[in-house]
Amino acid sequence: MKRSYLGEFEELVLLTVATLGQGAYGVAIADELDQQAGRPVSISAVHAALHRLEEKGMLTSHMGDATAERGGRRKRLFSVTALGSRTLHDIRDMRNRLWDAIAPNTLPAIG
Amino acid sequence: MLPNQPPRWADRLLDWFCAPHLLEEVQGDLYERFLRNERLFGLPIARRQYAWEVITFLRPFALKRQPGEQSTTYTLSPAMIRNYLTVAWRNLLRNKTFAAINITGLAVGLATCLMIMLYVMHELSYDRYHAKADRMYRMTIIGQVEGKALNIAYCSVPAGPTLANDYPGVEAVTRVDNRQGTFIVTRGTESFKEEHVAHADSNFFDTFSIPLLKGRAGDVLTQPNTVVLNESTARKYFGNEDPVGQTVTLGTLGLYRVTGVFKDIPSNTHFHYNIIGSLRSLKLRDTWLSSGIMTYIVLRPNFAISQLEARIPEMVRKHISSEMKQLLGVSLSDFQQKGNSFRFGFQPITDIHLHSHLEEEAEPNGDLKYVYIFSVIAVFILLLACINFMNLSTAGSAKRAREVGVRKVLGSHQGQLIGQFLSESMLVTFMALVIALGLVFMALPVFNQLAGTDFTFSALLSGRMIPAILLSSLLIGLLAGSYPAFFLSSFKPVSVLKGRFQTGARSGWLRHSLVTVQFMVSIGMIIGTLIVYRQLHFIQHKKVGFDKEQVLMVHDTYTLGDKTGAFKSELRRLAQVVDVTSGGYMPAGPSNHSVDGIRLEDGNPQATLYREKSFYIDDRYIHTLGIALAQGRNFLPAHPADQSAVLLNEAAVKRFGFKQPVGQQIWAVGDGSPNSQRRYTVVGVLKDFHFESMHEAIAPLIMFYGEDNYQMAIRIRTDKLPELLKTLETIWKAQTNNPFAYSFLNERFNAMYQSEERVGKLFGIFAGLTIFVACLGLFGLAAFTAQRRTKEIGVRKVLGASVASVVVLLSRDFLKPVLIALVIATPVAWYGMHQWLQDFAYRINVEWWVFALAGALAIAIALLTVSFQSIKAALVNPVKSLKTE
Repeated sequence: MKRSYLGEFEELVLLTVATLGQGAYGVAIADELDQQAGRPVSISAVHAALHRLEEKGMLTSHMGDATAERGGRRKRLFSVTALGSRTLHDIRDMRNRLWDAIAPNTLPAIG
Repeated sequence: MLPNQPPRWADRLLDWFCAPHLLEEVQGDLYERFLRNERLFGLPIARRQYAWEVITFLRPFALKRQPGEQSTTYTLSPAMIRNYLTVAWRNLLRNKTFAAINITGLAVGLATCLMIMLYVMHELSYDRYHAKADRMYRMTIIGQVEGKALNIAYCSVPAGPTLANDYPGVEAVTRVDNRQGTFIVTRGTESFKEEHVAHADSNFFDTFSIPLLKGRAGDVLTQPNTVVLNESTARKYFGNEDPVGQTVTLGTLGLYRVTGVFKDIPSNTHFHYNIIGSLRSLKLRDTWLSSGIMTYIVLRPNFAISQLEARIPEMVRKHISSEMKQLLGVSLSDFQQKGNSFRFGFQPITDIHLHSHLEEEAEPNGDLKYVYIFSVIAVFILLLACINFMNLSTAGSAKRAREVGVRKVLGSHQGQLIGQFLSESMLVTFMALVIALGLVFMALPVFNQLAGTDFTFSALLSGRMIPAILLSSLLIGLLAGSYPAFFLSSFKPVSVLKGRFQTGARSGWLRHSLVTVQFMVSIGMIIGTLIVYRQLHFIQHKKVGFDKEQVLMVHDTYTLGDKTGAFKSELRRLAQVVDVTSGGYMPAGPSNHSVDGIRLEDGNPQATLYREKSFYIDDRYIHTLGIALAQGRNFLPAHPADQSAVLLNEAAVKRFGFKQPVGQQIWAVGDGSPNSQRRYTVVGVLKDFHFESMHEAIAPLIMFYGEDNYQMAIRIRTDKLPELLKTLETIWKAQTNNPFAYSFLNERFNAMYQSEERVGKLFGIFAGLTIFVACLGLFGLAAFTAQRRTKEIGVRKVLGASVASVVVLLSRDFLKPVLIALVIATPVAWYGMHQWLQDFAYRINVEWWVFALAGALAIAIALLTVSFQSIKAALVNPVKSLKTE
């Protein structure tokens, strides 16, 4: 199987786009990442990742409607493509297989 | 507008760098974040955060433009450049007069520049072609003897070989003896006088990169009485025969066997020998203080000349002390204690042509000053041509303003308009370049004749010259075009299209100051030319102290040997001959003079040693040349005691401090040994005469009584010169087979100032060109003004203005810049010419009327130029001019 490589940050962004559904655009994604992953991300970093993911064909985008709060500028709204979804699933499957392969009580207990 | 805005500069920055297709979303996101931050943290932090985030967007993905989506034709795309050139071409055709003025001006400027560039490159290329040029030095003598500086181009005969033997840094030493440079060279029955003969060490052709056509570099000059000829000399004597193995006779030195032929020495060499004999053919004096020979050394790679220089005092101590004791009767330390010095210096060979002005140079050298002067002139003429272009473009801006307005409305950026105007100036420059090359091609023979050079057109088209010329033309195009381009492209479309545009009023003062600059340069050049010519006239007509008219010099009379007496008495029998003399020195020519050590007290080694010029003359000398006696008497053949008599000139009397010169005694030191010292009695004093050029103050001179047949002067009195010359030649040929060579004293005298005369002529030509270019510009400007004021002139005429008053009205504007230019140029030119005159011991005073004349000339020329246009405009029927709309 051809494996598509995703960086850790790209994977997070891709997942976040999936989480946000219809409302996935730059600032929203950055805010969501901030909340979920607990780390501050710059908008430019998010934009760069979105751009790369679109080039890889895992995201698709269209311009939304103009809104007043952005000085009349439109948002670019992103959604995950079939390839994106497949890649996410592949990654998840692989992780699951790895989790399953860990013998019980091998990992040190936490908490 | 919302009160709370992110920083404007950050917004602009983003606008500028961010790819257009990303801009909207990026701006939107940043703005949204800004609003939130402002709400949470306040305005200052939000603004700072915004700026920071803009900066973080400086990433490749944001910078990269999307191809094809929104096709913008950027300024330098091939399609646009093609369009620029088309438009430029059409504009040139539409304004044929101004295009012609621009192109002519630039072509003249460029042609002058190219020719001066040839001259400058040639001057700077002297001796650089030798393979080891960077390590080659000439060894010279530098010293101080009794207050007189000693700077001689040659050095002691044994110095070179000693250096090569004792100092490891020296790779090779080559010595060249050129002190007797003129020989009568005979092959069979044919003989010619050769003026460029030298004798050189056998490694001459290894040291200097002068290729041998026949013979091997190391072999040709190893045997005594062997000689190599240059190509032209070989052809002269041997035609198409192979000269190698044949023989020629060199004057009194006897038979020489030809061992090789070398290529003619390139013009950019500080010597030009045609015949080089082996140094072993000569008997050299092996002394340190009384011998001299050109000495060239080659250092080993990476050996600094300073290391060698540091060893020189030691060398002088070792070798010169004993000789000094013998020659001057003092020890080296005493000699030095009296403020004297003697050492050897080293000149890089590449510096000789432009920087060295020592005694006994192989040839007169060039002067760095003239390289500078002519480079500056070239730059000025080019600058003037560029100014024409700027002035005419901005003056014509009214015509272009509407075009600029329409282009801007249709979406042209300023950058695109600048590109368009620059391509116009480029087009003009390159057309001018083509014409300039044609001009150079045609004018080069004349230039060569004037400047005494032999440049070829192909030198311009060789090697690095082409790219250099193209690149500089590009720069000139940019320089000339940049101001008009920015000026024209900055018009505001709204005001231009509404017709509120003021015709070139904004740039009027600039145009006037540029015209002022042009006339400053022109007036400066006129002043320079006038002063150079006045000085030339002065030195050619100053009383020289002898009568230089009607004096014929016969050269090389020493070849007559013991037949001199017979020759002279034959001459005296001729009715046209007034008197004949022979002597070691005739004014304004090669000389057989020497420099003698003179003391005023008998044999006292502590007495001051004078080092003065001297030569031998006979008793007819002062009569033949018409030199006046100030005191005492001439030599008398009837007085046997006159063998130890001397004549001095007034300068010598002053130098020696004699109150009553006649009857005083002086001692010539000779070579230093007690028996070579001789006593002389002063019998007369000659009025000072200019025996050297006006560059030098008249030096003290001592004339001994004796036969020296080096040269002969004949005072003649005839109108039928050709017949006399024929008679003289017949008499000469009866005595000897050698060629009969003669010259006229006044011509020789003028020839001394050849280089000044050349400078004068070139200055005159360049001044003419400068004024021509400046006037072209003025002509164009006047045409514009007349055109612009057509209607005004019409109205004035209808209301009763006379033609004269209209002409005055139109010309007045142009007088002011010329007057201002005169005021600025006068002190600058005065200073420059004052510096130039310092080179002459005898010089004119710079008088005020020179400046007045230059100013009057400039004003007259400017008025003439302008009035052509103003009169034309003033004469137009007002009906016609008022009808035009």
